[in-house]
Amino acid sequence: MTVRMGFVIITSRCIDCDACMVACRSENDVPLGHTRNWVKSSGVQGQFPKVSEVFQPGNCMHCDNPPCVSVCPTGASQKRSDGIVIVEDKKCIGCKYCLTACPYDARFSNSETGKADKCTLCLHRLEQGLEPACVQTCLGKSRLAGDLNDPSSVVSMLIAQYPTRILLKEVGTGPNIYYIDEAVPDIPDGK
Amino acid sequence: MELTWGLMIVIYLFTAGLSAGAMITSNLAFLYGGQEFERVSRWGAYLSPFPISLGLGVLVLDLGSPFNFYQLFLTLELSSPMSYGSWIILFFTMLSFVYLYLWLPETYQKIGQTQQLKRWKKHLTKLMPFLSIAVASYTGLLLNAAVRPIWNAPLLPILFLVSALSTGVAAVILISNLSPWKRARHKELHVLTKADAGLIILECLIILIMIVMGRLSSASESIAFNSLLVGNYAWVFWLLIVGLGLIIPLFMELMELKGKIPVKWVWPVTISSSFLVLFGGFFVRYVITYAGQTNSWF
Repeated sequence: MTVRMGFVIITSRCIDCDACMVACRSENDVPLGHTRNWVKSSGVQGQFPKVSEVFQPGNCMHCDNPPCVSVCPTGASQKRSDGIVIVEDKKCIGCKYCLTACPYDARFSNSETGKADKCTLCLHRLEQGLEPACVQTCLGKSRLAGDLNDPSSVVSMLIAQYPTRILLKEVGTGPNIYYIDEAVPDIPDGK
Repeated sequence: MELTWGLMIVIYLFTAGLSAGAMITSNLAFLYGGQEFERVSRWGAYLSPFPISLGLGVLVLDLGSPFNFYQLFLTLELSSPMSYGSWIILFFTMLSFVYLYLWLPETYQKIGQTQQLKRWKKHLTKLMPFLSIAVASYTGLLLNAAVRPIWNAPLLPILFLVSALSTGVAAVILISNLSPWKRARHKELHVLTKADAGLIILECLIILIMIVMGRLSSASESIAFNSLLVGNYAWVFWLLIVGLGLIIPLFMELMELKGKIPVKWVWPVTISSSFLVLFGGFFVRYVITYAGQTNSWF
């Protein structure tokens, strides 16, 4: 079966330390003022004393039907055969069409290069057998990445075990970040 | 989402529509009006290449990597309206300059034989309406493809087309009225004014249907359309578009057509009504471009 790279993000394990954002910026030289990944807060929910706050980390969803790729006029935005959505800088003219087309606002215009910039799933690290920087640094093990088509991967094992949700399902992009909100006491051993 | 496409894109959308509309006005006036409509055909031909040229310049300047723009013309991506749109506007702009040349007074036509040029003019007059419709409506498909609330309205290409025709006709009325040379005759203006009034009525209907359809769609879309009706963009929508850009010029044009305007007022009324149509057309592009980006799915 083909490789389908994606993430599992366990919101119950996120403490909003923002280390993923720092690690990504440092790993990928992301200019200040923009970020390839984020942690969003639900705000305080409920009534005192039963209050809660949910943190929802995110980044490019490496969608199955990525609108950023289909609208790209030069073929710079591409979906690789392993599912990772990338921008080929040489071909990008900086028209920002992909920025408007992404319903997750996962792209930004890099002020230094003038080109569309986004999460690459740390492709250069994967090639060396390493995890993406945001995953490696995540101290709560809230962020996990791997091959969603491989049943022995940690992401597939978690998806099989817990209820998951995806964002903006109705838009039809087929995002590849699966969110788990339930408490996950143990992260299974997997690839 | 923060604003990705700003005023530069609005200017492009407006100028491209204006050029396409002026081109069609010129073509149809020449095809169906012949010598009697020679003046408006001529002014349409003289006007058409310039707004879109300005728009193209602005469009390139808006790129993050402007020197890389040639990448657009190394490929044709059929899933991207911007890709085929770039080819369309490239051909349109080049041919609009050729068309202008063919309309120049004979003394200025240094290249080509007069008879041959006349034949060319006839051929081009039949081809350009199709290219113009493509230029005017692909911009709607461009926004459709980004699948955002408001931008995904299926009638958007039709709205842009009708608005382009309306602003094109208005621009030809305006310029052929302001010029001391080859000024349009009463009969020509009467027909153009009639056409423009019809287009404005059509545009009002399309906007109405778009809003009703939007309000009946998902909550995201409904709220996005609300931002036009009662939210942040309400004053632009009601005052600048519906009031100044549609209702008032329509009223003025209908009064003109019925001959209810005193002779000494006809000229200023014609000038102001066509100016208001252009003004409204600009803000149609503005409101759609901006409201489509400040609203997103939830």
